Amino acid sequence: MATEQNDVELVDGDVVHAFARAALLATLLGAVAPIAIPIPFSPAPITLQVLFVFLAGLLLGPLWGTVSILLYLAAGAIGLPVFAGMAGGLGVLVGDSAGYLWSYPLAACLIGLFVHRGTDLRDPAEISTALVVVALVTATVLIYGMGVGYMAWLLELELWEAITVGALWFVPGELLKIAAAVAIVESGRIDTV
Amino acid sequence: MLTYEPGETVVHDLDPRSKLAVQIGFAATALAHTAPRALLGLSVVTAVVLALARVPLLRTLYAYRFALVILAVGPLVAAATLGPPWIDLEAGLATALASYRVLLILLVSAAYVRTTPVRESRAAIQRTIPGKPGQLLGIGVALVFRFLPVVQSDLRTIRDASAARLGTERSARERATTIGLLGLSRTFDRADRLSLALRARCFSWNPTLPALAFSRRDAPVLGIAVALLLTAFL
Repeated sequence: MATEQNDVELVDGDVVHAFARAALLATLLGAVAPIAIPIPFSPAPITLQVLFVFLAGLLLGPLWGTVSILLYLAAGAIGLPVFAGMAGGLGVLVGDSAGYLWSYPLAACLIGLFVHRGTDLRDPAEISTALVVVALVTATVLIYGMGVGYMAWLLELELWEAITVGALWFVPGELLKIAAAVAIVESGRIDTV
Repeated sequence: MLTYEPGETVVHDLDPRSKLAVQIGFAATALAHTAPRALLGLSVVTAVVLALARVPLLRTLYAYRFALVILAVGPLVAAATLGPPWIDLEAGLATALASYRVLLILLVSAAYVRTTPVRESRAAIQRTIPGKPGQLLGIGVALVFRFLPVVQSDLRTIRDASAARLGTERSARERATTIGLLGLSRTFDRADRLSLALRARCFSWNPTLPALAFSRRDAPVLGIAVALLLTAFL
């Protein structure tokens, strides 16, 4: 068996710290997939994955937040049961909900750039609520835009048909997740990297 | 739930990289075609893959039930029109064919999931993606695999404790906030302990890679993958 005989190149402490958090946030994102909370006036219960996509951008920033979501997608692609309904497999990443899944890393990156203005992280509890809300609403529009757009193309649906199937029912839940994400960062109980 | 199961099939013995290549080729050609003849060909390929990997069809369909709901509702929504004649069969049929190819893609990827252990997928990632990104992705995926049951059990504890205190009677926003906040703080505590443990064990950019080798059996499979990929351009 071939062996490598190079010097060991250690990973920097900061990188290890951020990486461990990104990996475990990706795990959390997969672990909440089966949790559904019923909400009034909507047939679709909310799932918490988008909430943790928001939190990835807010708490890990544009770089490690994106890495975290990419790890989640990679774990799902090789078959870990982390996607909705505890499914996994490369097929899901090109299937009907693929647009949503691929929008997650972009959304986390966008939120991170909006809120932290770069890779040096600021304490999100000190950032104005308005800015956080604007970032989260923009990210939600991005997620649904990509999700619905891809679904319309893949299944050869009219745009409004895709919106009916893939977005309309979920709007109340999204507002609620934005409220929850704001409450979590403003509690100040979670420190950034 | 769809997971790896040890077995003796031909597909189990293949290198994970050839299996990934077949999936990519299959998905590319399925996304490019919706003609009934093309779908018939793709169905035959899917049937062969499922038979070789001994994938139980019904259990796999059940595992993908969430996607199946959308794939079943799509054609109905596409067929429904506002105003006479109320039903547009042609649009419904087009969406039904488009949905069917998605089902085939899901089934082919199920064969990979069932026959490939996580450690082999990890090795494939680290050997295919060069440099530091590949290392982080490979190790990250292994960590997700290792910690998934732990974090799931953390979440169960949080939800049980919350339910015992009538947390289920609270508003959905409060419930989401509680699960988010407690889940995140527990997970980050674990991450901080993990990072200390990783550094104590000399976490490095260039560890010895897990063993993986192409065998003679992989050659035809790689050929099929390339052929599938090329049919996407037909």
